[in-house]
Amino acid sequence: MSALSRPISLQSERFIIRTLTPNDISERWCGWSGDPEIMAPLNMQPRRSTRESLAKYVSQQDNDRTYLIGIFAKAMGQHVGFYQIDINKLHRNAGFNVIIGDKHYWGKNVVNETRAALLTEFFERRGVEKAWGQPLARNFPMIFNYKQQGWKLEGILRSQCLSVVDGSRIDQYQFGMLRDEWRALSQGASQ
Amino acid sequence: MNAHQTATQILAGALMIDASAVPPDARLGRIEQWDSLAHARLLLALEEKLGRQLSTDEAVAIESLDDIASLLAR
Repeated sequence: MSALSRPISLQSERFIIRTLTPNDISERWCGWSGDPEIMAPLNMQPRRSTRESLAKYVSQQDNDRTYLIGIFAKAMGQHVGFYQIDINKLHRNAGFNVIIGDKHYWGKNVVNETRAALLTEFFERRGVEKAWGQPLARNFPMIFNYKQQGWKLEGILRSQCLSVVDGSRIDQYQFGMLRDEWRALSQGASQ
Repeated sequence: MNAHQTATQILAGALMIDASAVPPDARLGRIEQWDSLAHARLLLALEEKLGRQLSTDEAVAIESLDDIASLLAR
């Protein structure tokens, strides 16, 4: 673990948002990557993870430039999803990726509630000045989330990826949020 | 049925509410039932109605009942 490591520990109204550790590895988490319904919006072949592969994934995060952050429901304590956040320290930007593995939480505003806490954390306490995300064009729920939260559509990356389903080329969106924009949105929401 | 009425029906179906409960100025983020899954249902229903996939530009531009009606009227 790097000397610069600073694990995340936050709360939103309904969730605990914290750095994942090897102790969080479970059969439940292993199963998410094997579920076609969860993996299709990410353009990834479903392949169940092993405890070993997840342990390696967790160990690769340094909590300085790369973060693996779990979302846990306060009510029952269960792990419902996670963020992978990659920091470019030179340019002070953060790339956000999220998976909600527990399908009972789909359509329940989990992403925007938890991402709000993370945006504030990275913008106000970790030196990030811009956040960005690149959902695939057919990931309609995620497009909704970015728009509802006030991210700006910065462009369309035409034919950016090859579909794992049929090999066709697929588009990707580029959404961005600047620190000042988030401050203005947060201020507006609290008034 | 004009494009606005058809748009109202499609949006109501996606939100799983009665068409009479869809306000004429309905837009994303202002109706509680318009969540991420409802948005996915909406775009898939539009594709079914149009008989084709939405383009990337079209999909990201849909934020309101008026947007849906405009798309259907083209």
